[in-house]
Amino acid sequence: MTTAAKPLARRHAEEHEDPRQYLMHDPLPRGQMNDMAMEAMHETNPIFWIVTAILAAIVVFSLGYEWYILIMQGQGTAGVLRPDYWGVFLVNTVFWIGISHAGTFISAILRVLKIESRRPFTRAAELMTTFGLVQAGLSIFMHLGRVWLVYWMFPIPNERRIWPDFHSPLMWDLMAITTYLLCSTMYLFLPLIPDLAMARDRTAGGWLKQFYKILALGFRGTEGEWKNLTTAMNIFAFAIIPVMFSVHTIVSWDFAMASRPGWSSTVFGPYFVIGALHSGMAAVAIVLFLLRSTMKHYKYFIRAEQLNTIGTLMLLVSMAWAYFYFNDYLVPWYGGDVWDKLVQEYTEKGPLAYLWYTMLIVNIAVPWATLWNRKWRETPWLLAIVGFLINVGMYLERYIIIPVGVTINRMPFTWRQYEPRIEIPMTIGTFALFLLLYMLASRIIPLIPVWEVQEGQEAHLIRKVGKAEVSTLSDLE
Amino acid sequence: MPETTTLLAMFEGLEPSAEGVDKLQQLGVNDDDMNIISGVPIKHTILGRPPAITYVSRIGLFGAILGMFLGIFFIYGIPYLYPLLVGGQPIFPVPQGFIITFEMTMLGLMGFSFIGLFVDSGFPSYTPKQYTPEISDGKIGVLFSCPASEREKFIDALKEAGAESIEPVEARHL
Amino acid sequence: MATELERSGVTNQIEEGPVGVWGMVIDQDLCTGCQACVAACSMENNVPIVGEEDANYGRYMHWIRIERLWESTEYPEVKMTSFQPMLCQQCHNAPCEPVCPVYASVHSLSEDLNLQVYNRCVGTRYCGNNCPYQVRAFNWLDYNDERVHPELVTLHNQMNPDVTVRRRGVMEKCTFCIQRIHKAEDKAKSEGREIREGEFTTACAQACPANAITFGRLDDPESQINQMAAANPSRAYHSLEEVRTLPRITYLTGGV
Repeated sequence: MTTAAKPLARRHAEEHEDPRQYLMHDPLPRGQMNDMAMEAMHETNPIFWIVTAILAAIVVFSLGYEWYILIMQGQGTAGVLRPDYWGVFLVNTVFWIGISHAGTFISAILRVLKIESRRPFTRAAELMTTFGLVQAGLSIFMHLGRVWLVYWMFPIPNERRIWPDFHSPLMWDLMAITTYLLCSTMYLFLPLIPDLAMARDRTAGGWLKQFYKILALGFRGTEGEWKNLTTAMNIFAFAIIPVMFSVHTIVSWDFAMASRPGWSSTVFGPYFVIGALHSGMAAVAIVLFLLRSTMKHYKYFIRAEQLNTIGTLMLLVSMAWAYFYFNDYLVPWYGGDVWDKLVQEYTEKGPLAYLWYTMLIVNIAVPWATLWNRKWRETPWLLAIVGFLINVGMYLERYIIIPVGVTINRMPFTWRQYEPRIEIPMTIGTFALFLLLYMLASRIIPLIPVWEVQEGQEAHLIRKVGKAEVSTLSDLE
Repeated sequence: MPETTTLLAMFEGLEPSAEGVDKLQQLGVNDDDMNIISGVPIKHTILGRPPAITYVSRIGLFGAILGMFLGIFFIYGIPYLYPLLVGGQPIFPVPQGFIITFEMTMLGLMGFSFIGLFVDSGFPSYTPKQYTPEISDGKIGVLFSCPASEREKFIDALKEAGAESIEPVEARHL
Repeated sequence: MATELERSGVTNQIEEGPVGVWGMVIDQDLCTGCQACVAACSMENNVPIVGEEDANYGRYMHWIRIERLWESTEYPEVKMTSFQPMLCQQCHNAPCEPVCPVYASVHSLSEDLNLQVYNRCVGTRYCGNNCPYQVRAFNWLDYNDERVHPELVTLHNQMNPDVTVRRRGVMEKCTFCIQRIHKAEDKAKSEGREIREGEFTTACAQACPANAITFGRLDDPESQINQMAAANPSRAYHSLEEVRTLPRITYLTGGV
């Protein structure tokens, strides 16, 4: 017997040890990075404008014409009925608020946890938040029977001697979504100020220069300005996290407060929050893939490490989602309330059972089968496909909860199934509007927070520890 | 009063900037007469500067308290003014109190922090300012005022510290 | 109730004295399923006619419906349950009330009824989702408008002038014929007396040929409906009692 040690394992990961593959260890001069961001903003090809025109046409038709029909003729043009009073419009609302949680997760939670790989794409994610909330707000307005009177829900002084009713979860929704929309827009704007200053400095003239000059507020970068800005950003980063959790919890309470079997579940709060993160992370994966493939120079900024971060988070969140879904599933299955069991039976064995099976496959099986492998996570198109499938699954999850679950109630004489009608073009319209807003924003503001990337690069070093080259992050804040 | 002139020294990198600030402090420039303009935030200890004072957090806290009172008004003031009975629930509900107060407190905290940034930094301000576009390209600018007669001494000292350029700067539209 | 407002120290509410607490007794064994109550209610309260296609899809606007369910369909043991007229139960703890964001569904202090305020309703339909009895009807289209049903224009001549005609986007439901309640109350007030038993009744109770629906006062222990409920303790029940909405309608069933 020799004392020679056997090799412990095949070393697959040798090539991942080189720190220079990471963005934080691959610094370029700030001027050059600014150039890259500005060029990506200004250079377009005809395909971009063709796609923009098509999206604009879809938006005008579906959100202009079809919504006009919906308002003038009434909710009857949609597919809602008794007992399914809520349909796809509510599904859209929950879906878009879910997408919007991704931005806050990345720009707030990853910032607080000091996960450095987040630096290049915080703004791209925050834009998803703002534009997603716009779609959610539109979808809520779409489902109102008398939408021209929605201002009665606003708690402002009025002459009618009546204010809105805060007993109602819809009012909590209004407060929470308004807070979240305003705060995430402000949080989008704060780190944007120095980049707008950079754009202002690099734009010669014209209306674009005026636009940047006005929005940059006269920012120069003095010590006082940076101190104020970073203090405000820190307050926002910490404070917007509980707001993010509370917003989707409150949205879930729209359903949990109802005395409907299948809806009145105490686990809905955290279940919906995790569901929001699930679809949000998946949407970020799609956005990262699209940005990397369509925007010039973005392959420098969005690298394998960013995709790896998102892919790992997608896997973790899908496990958490499976945990909460199992919680929500087990209790009615075990017995007790006959009506809860009937809802479950209708979901699993009814005419729409294929939706339920699809949901389970794409929400759990697909991420668990693909995202464990680092190489696959770092493949942009594969991650984007998994992200797309997860989003389909999460849309189906909300569809199952709202229009399918609401078919079963305690009065069997009323049970009828919901079929979406005008909701279909209007849903397509919200997706088109989201993409359109995103594409137009990519022309006007730099999507990469270049100053944050440089800040991170300055704080990172490679030092030698023994024979290894090791990445070091110094606390320069 | 001796005539003072304002100069802007441009440095590339944190080490030369720290040396330059050090030289200026040795030559007797007050910390208040110096300002660092940069494209990324620089911790004050790196350059040997006194910590900057910010009122943003105090304004934010004030906003949080305002938001809390707004939330309490929504959930308890409104039913007090216009009570209506709904569903066997108490007129002054307790759980809704937590929800609405929390949301409005957070809105106040963040909204007023945002406003605090504007107020404390004097945003928006479109008057002419001392600035050069190289700063947003990553260079660090040290803006200082010195007696006009000793200009040469200061310029030489900073060149020794590694400054790329030291120029008098006029306020211009950004 | 009034005592709750007093207890909470609120002093500036508009309050009429308790004029009456209204309830119903419905005897399912007498009900023949003829739907005369449905027709009478629709005519009394200007309930729009929706049309066959929409009603089949689930958009029927009836404020009262006769539920007919099969206990078993295996021949030869084909058995139906007794007919169940289902209408707004005017719950004391109505789940439809706290969920309305604009106070369009509130509880009346004086009549102890669940009120639906048509001109305040914004159409969120949360109340419809939250009603365990699913008795709330939403105006999905302008069914009363001649552009939707041009063939029914002449029916507008039979509308009840005491009741508003609702437009699209507004939720509605059974009101225990509150227009008749108010008419009787006003008459009694002007004559300086209390409302007499049997002075008026709801449209459904009036139309029922089998006298299956009886409407009356719950706060008077001598009233007919209280006597009926007391005389049939084993047959009396509240619908969906386990949800604890404390409804005002007592059903009698179980065979004579």
